[in-house]
Amino acid sequence: MATRNRTLLFRKYRNSLRSVRAPMTDSKSGVGPVIEMASSSLLHPKRSYAPVSTEDPGSSRGGAVTVGLPPDWVDVSEEISVNIQRARTKMAELGKAHAKALMPTFGDGKEDQHQIESLTQEITFLLRKSEKQLQKLSAAGPSEDSNVRKNVQRSLATDLQFLSMELRKKQSTYLKRLRLQKEDGGDLEMNLNGSSSRADDDDFDDILFSEHQMSKIKKSEAISVEREKEIQQVVESVNELAQIMKDLSALVIDQGTIVDRIDYNIQNVASTVEDGLKQLQKAERTQRNGGMVMCASVLVILCFIMIVLLILKEIFL
Amino acid sequence: MGLVTSVRDYINRMLQDISGMKVLILDPETVSNVSIVYSQSELLQKEVFLVEMIDSISASNESMSHLKAVYLVRPTSENVQKLRYQLANPRFGEYHLFFSNLLKDTQIHILADSDEHEVVQQVQEFYADFVAGDPYHFTLNMASNHLYMLPAVVDPSGLQRYSDRVVDGIAAVFLALKRRPVIRYQRTSDTAKRIAQETAKLMYQQESGLFDFRRTESSPLLLVIDRRDDPVTPLLNQWTYQAMVHELIGLQDNKVDLRAIGSLPKDQQVEVVLSSEQDAFFKSNMYENFGDIGMNIKRMVDDFQQVAKSNQNIQTVEDMARFVDNYPEYKKMQGNVSKHVTLVTEMSKLVEARKLMLVSQTEQDLACNGGQGAAYEAVTDLLNNESVSDIDRLRLVMLYALRYEKENPVQLMQLFNKLASRSPKYKQGLVQFLLKQAGVEKRTGDLFGNRDLLNIARNMARGLKGVENVYTQHQPLLFQTMESITRGRLRDVDYPFVGDHFQQGRPQEVVIFMVGGTTYEESRCVALQNSTNSGIRFILGGTAVLNSKRFLMDLEEAQRISRSGSHMV
Repeated sequence: MATRNRTLLFRKYRNSLRSVRAPMTDSKSGVGPVIEMASSSLLHPKRSYAPVSTEDPGSSRGGAVTVGLPPDWVDVSEEISVNIQRARTKMAELGKAHAKALMPTFGDGKEDQHQIESLTQEITFLLRKSEKQLQKLSAAGPSEDSNVRKNVQRSLATDLQFLSMELRKKQSTYLKRLRLQKEDGGDLEMNLNGSSSRADDDDFDDILFSEHQMSKIKKSEAISVEREKEIQQVVESVNELAQIMKDLSALVIDQGTIVDRIDYNIQNVASTVEDGLKQLQKAERTQRNGGMVMCASVLVILCFIMIVLLILKEIFL
Repeated sequence: MGLVTSVRDYINRMLQDISGMKVLILDPETVSNVSIVYSQSELLQKEVFLVEMIDSISASNESMSHLKAVYLVRPTSENVQKLRYQLANPRFGEYHLFFSNLLKDTQIHILADSDEHEVVQQVQEFYADFVAGDPYHFTLNMASNHLYMLPAVVDPSGLQRYSDRVVDGIAAVFLALKRRPVIRYQRTSDTAKRIAQETAKLMYQQESGLFDFRRTESSPLLLVIDRRDDPVTPLLNQWTYQAMVHELIGLQDNKVDLRAIGSLPKDQQVEVVLSSEQDAFFKSNMYENFGDIGMNIKRMVDDFQQVAKSNQNIQTVEDMARFVDNYPEYKKMQGNVSKHVTLVTEMSKLVEARKLMLVSQTEQDLACNGGQGAAYEAVTDLLNNESVSDIDRLRLVMLYALRYEKENPVQLMQLFNKLASRSPKYKQGLVQFLLKQAGVEKRTGDLFGNRDLLNIARNMARGLKGVENVYTQHQPLLFQTMESITRGRLRDVDYPFVGDHFQQGRPQEVVIFMVGGTTYEESRCVALQNSTNSGIRFILGGTAVLNSKRFLMDLEEAQRISRSGSHMV
């Protein structure tokens, strides 16, 4: 596809016109030290996060407009994206740990388990923390800034949701493979026991027979306990994931629908933000007028009265 | 490479080298160009966190200097003026200007003059100046489409603007494809001739350096033709999915606005997207006829119901886990199923209410088969039928008139009178105006297959063989044109070359531009032709995408202007 760069011609014209305007620019020189945004991207996952640099941009820009400080919420969004990046690297580590744990070893494997658990917990913690911070980005007021915030929120929500799903998938494949392995191993042991018990049955008395039975029972108990623990883990992670998905689903865009169209978003931005504001105001009003608030305040007042009466009783008796 | 890919590539290149948080600023035309190929979520991935129109940027004074502004606008004088103001009072940290067509030097000068604060980092031309709905179909979404029907003397400046816009659009398509074509045009159309000549001037003289691409063994062909050579296709009712949706409800930039129907319950989606790039079901069904679509949708609904049932039947923990894992896909499937079911239901209702099965059968007979007497009877019956709507009556009479213009003028007159008496809103003389514009003397191609002996024979053979589906037997004239090009038999007499252009052998790429607009039936024809691997790739484009309502609107507007013009002395 063909393109044509007109920047050189533009600069040429601009420079020649600048010399005409020269007396004006001298009076408008730099407005003090200004922090310039670093060239690396803010929220791009692939690029690393580089700090902003302090530079005097007086040489590159001759005018009064310089890149100013971004608003506060940008710091929050930066923090979230850093956390997401951290979670991503930990997920890679988790993948490796899973693979290592699944390899047949002679050792107990408890160390691997421990590492996997701790990694999973860290990742879940990071995801939850990011999700809570994400709610902070919501803004009120129909300004352009609020649109930017909403879009940043959506983008981060999509990343979070993707990471949560990935974590779930990794966990479930790992558990499935683990269960398969255990079953194979368990079966093997059961077979050994079974064959030995058959061999020994004829030779030994009931005492030894019951010993074998006991060991079998103990083994199956151990297995069922472990099973329960695994199920518990799965339930917990499913629960957490469901919670995260519920919170995020309001923010994430459904691809391929009308909400994913740029022209639709431009048209509706004005009306939805106004609607949102109205809804918030209405909610505030109802909450203030709500019976709950009344009951709660009445109860609190009664408590205070009771305490005062109690104290008075103690003093006068 | 399809056109959709070209525009996407332009947008990707535009955004990839600019790091940090960005705001994308568009004008009313480029917003269509971008929205139809790029989604909001993709923009968010590229860190574009705000999209604004160039008009509304000036309205606010809020300084957002932590954002970098990326403009993608047409190089019109209005846009340049707005940019002047915005550059003089910059709100954003950096300005990257991309224009969707060629800039004049004077415009660059004006922009340089207003960039006092030197915020502009680059000025580029990225030729995404057309709306690429499907890979081989584009449109220019022009508003005053009717101008092509009027002679130049009526509104010379309007026609000049019209022609300029078309030339810009065609130039952008060829720049995106990186080709310079040989140009032919339809001899009988003045507008087509003018556009062809101005395009040739642009590509070979004014900007010959820009268009000087690597030559391939055979040059591509640009064929500029006129809608009036085939007025039948936009008048017919359609029965294939994409064309039908546009005809009955209306498809604009691949969006369907269901509010036009007005009979939907409150919680239904108001607007839906029908894009072959994003919707796999639509991609495989967009050219299928209504009966097959019904069956495919039923199958889709059955599949979905099975999934839904298994989701309700959650017994073990594994089931629970699986449900939560698959929930996003389930939701997407549900949205898609409900969208298609709604569309097909609404269209069925409309077919029923307007008795379109009956009307369309007669329409197809008028377009394809012979028999003037029987046709007259059928049209008269339908005109008398109370449940047939006004627009359908008008269409029937028009189709009859186009076919039997010269046969039995008495009966033709009777039909005109009947139409005028039945339809109070009918603008007098509209059918006659159509005949004046697109009657048998004006047409080049063999629209009804009754001029050329070969075509007559073919028609007879088809009649004897019988057709698969009465409702889709019509083939647009475009099909014959494409066949002639494929065989290398496009007549020079009818479609001359511009200037001293010449083509040896067959072209491998052909862009057919229809002044006055294309239809989805024709884009379907092109897509099917491309899938036959004949060695030639066809691309179709037009000034708008027509349905019968739009075509009639253009006709009425042209008639109104020509009437008012003739009263002026």
